[in-house]
Amino acid sequence: MKILDARILIIDADTEVVEFLKNHLGTQHVIESTGSGIDGIAKGSSSEYDIYFISMSLPDISGRDVLHAIRKVHEEAICIMMSSNPSIDSAVQTTQMGAYNYISKPFDPEKIIPMVHRALERRWYILEARRLREERENNLAELSVDKSRLATVINSIDDGILVINQNKEIIFYNPRFLQLIDTDRQILIGDSMFRYLPQSLQKQICEILQKAESDGKTGAIKQELVIKPPFELVVMANTAPIFGENGQCLGVVSVLRDITEMKQLEQSKSRFVNMVAHELKAPLAAIHSYLKMILDNALGDDIVTYNTYMKRSLERTEALMELINDLMNIFRMDSKAVKRNLEKVEMADLLENTVELFRPQMEEREISVNLALKHGLFVKADPEEIRRVFTNLISNAIKYNKYEGSIDISCVEDGRWVKVSVKDTGIGMTADEKDRLFQEFFRAKNKFTRDITGTGLGLAILKKIVDEYAGRITVDTEFGKGSTFTVYLPRVMSGE
Amino acid sequence: MSKKILLIDDDTDLINVYKPFLQKHGFEVEAAYNSEEGKKLFKSFKPDVVFADLVMEHFDSGFVLCHWMNQQPERKNAHVVILTSTGHETGYRFSTQTSEEKTWINADDYLEKPISPNDLLQYIKDKVLKET
Repeated sequence: MKILDARILIIDADTEVVEFLKNHLGTQHVIESTGSGIDGIAKGSSSEYDIYFISMSLPDISGRDVLHAIRKVHEEAICIMMSSNPSIDSAVQTTQMGAYNYISKPFDPEKIIPMVHRALERRWYILEARRLREERENNLAELSVDKSRLATVINSIDDGILVINQNKEIIFYNPRFLQLIDTDRQILIGDSMFRYLPQSLQKQICEILQKAESDGKTGAIKQELVIKPPFELVVMANTAPIFGENGQCLGVVSVLRDITEMKQLEQSKSRFVNMVAHELKAPLAAIHSYLKMILDNALGDDIVTYNTYMKRSLERTEALMELINDLMNIFRMDSKAVKRNLEKVEMADLLENTVELFRPQMEEREISVNLALKHGLFVKADPEEIRRVFTNLISNAIKYNKYEGSIDISCVEDGRWVKVSVKDTGIGMTADEKDRLFQEFFRAKNKFTRDITGTGLGLAILKKIVDEYAGRITVDTEFGKGSTFTVYLPRVMSGE
Repeated sequence: MSKKILLIDDDTDLINVYKPFLQKHGFEVEAAYNSEEGKKLFKSFKPDVVFADLVMEHFDSGFVLCHWMNQQPERKNAHVVILTSTGHETGYRFSTQTSEEKTWINADDYLEKPISPNDLLQYIKDKVLKET
């Protein structure tokens, strides 16, 4: 605990003194000197020396002034005052001013060397204390940065956080927490939780506190809480006890996560499943009752009606199979499991080919078709999917058309789109029906549509396909007059 | 005189089965495929029993029809039954599942589809023929 290579500054005009000290200390330490008090102040305050030797009598200013000036800059400087004319008064005075020692000239080497050693030891302690102090200050600074960083993180986190002490008072919460319990009120720290929290959350917290108190140990509780019924705001609340060092329960921490979207999705999925079940049940019930009527001979020997029953059963069976195919397509598309073979598809060719497939059905109902197709327009897509879109539209245009009606199909370019319109002279739709057209299982119900079979999924699938290619579909319709479905698909140049 | 039954349902298959079956059992039967046709037949046919679907053109067609029938003088002599298979779980806003809904619809009875022709016949025998 000694300072080697100590820097020592001697401020004395007496060259004998300077020589003496250099001789006795210069081998171990670095010694500088000046004969002027002003110069000594300048040198001694610009950097801190380990020991200052200051003569009481200098040619320019007094040693006391030098001591005062240096101690003003370096509060802990070790200053040894030297006087060839020592007095108790000046010794007391300089010591009060912070001098480390007051010695008389000429020096006794026996005394001066141990004194310098002691001074250096003192200096070491001063420096060490200073180092520790600085270290501590740095740590504190770091700590406060850490604290504000943590606060920022907690306040920005997308989960709600709440801390409750064992008196069931609110100790901490973040802004997200207020949103997730759907309150505009500002909660005061230290307020009772019963004033603010939803009952379901209170219950969860009380349960944890009770268990922690009686068993001393308890795990977390995870629970869905409906904040705004039925599915407007649902959170997953995860509440866990906080244990102190001695194992006593200090309170609980609750983390709330917004699971509304998940719940809504779950809800719409289960509704879809219910609708599917319903859609499957209806035709099966019909087939069942037809078969039962026939087998029970319920109408005696009314062969004509039995025949109708069998035909109708067959139709409904076919519709069921179609429905199951459509369902499988929807599920495949929703799970993104569809493998697409992207090709450049020439729209006019595809439309002409598709129309050909429907010739027999059109002839049967004497429906005429007019094609206005511009050739040389391409889209990049899976030809099977695009064919499905127009098969569906043309099939609808026939099914919902009137006897001896007509269908106009056009294909033109419209900016960066290929625009295909399918116009029929059918039954059209009401505004309400039009709005719900692309909903799964929606089918317009009126006296015209009664005998037309369909799965209610065709247009929903069609829309999924068009969406998949970043296209869009519009419907123009007038009840009793007809409908025009227009599909826009992104156009690619023939060279692309 | 045979009892007159009016079926109001947009389900072709249901009418296809019930109508000849009930006729075979000696009832006079008329069928309507929507509530407008139903209203007309209710006035002209003057049925003793009405079986009406709940969801036809609209989700509430059946109960609107039922309210209308309740205001007609012919209602006094008619037993009105709502026949339905839809419920809240399929996303419909209205059903016959709760007592509030039943009070609101104010029919004489509510039956769940599907109901077999024999069960329907039994129902008519129990509820309608015994009362008269």
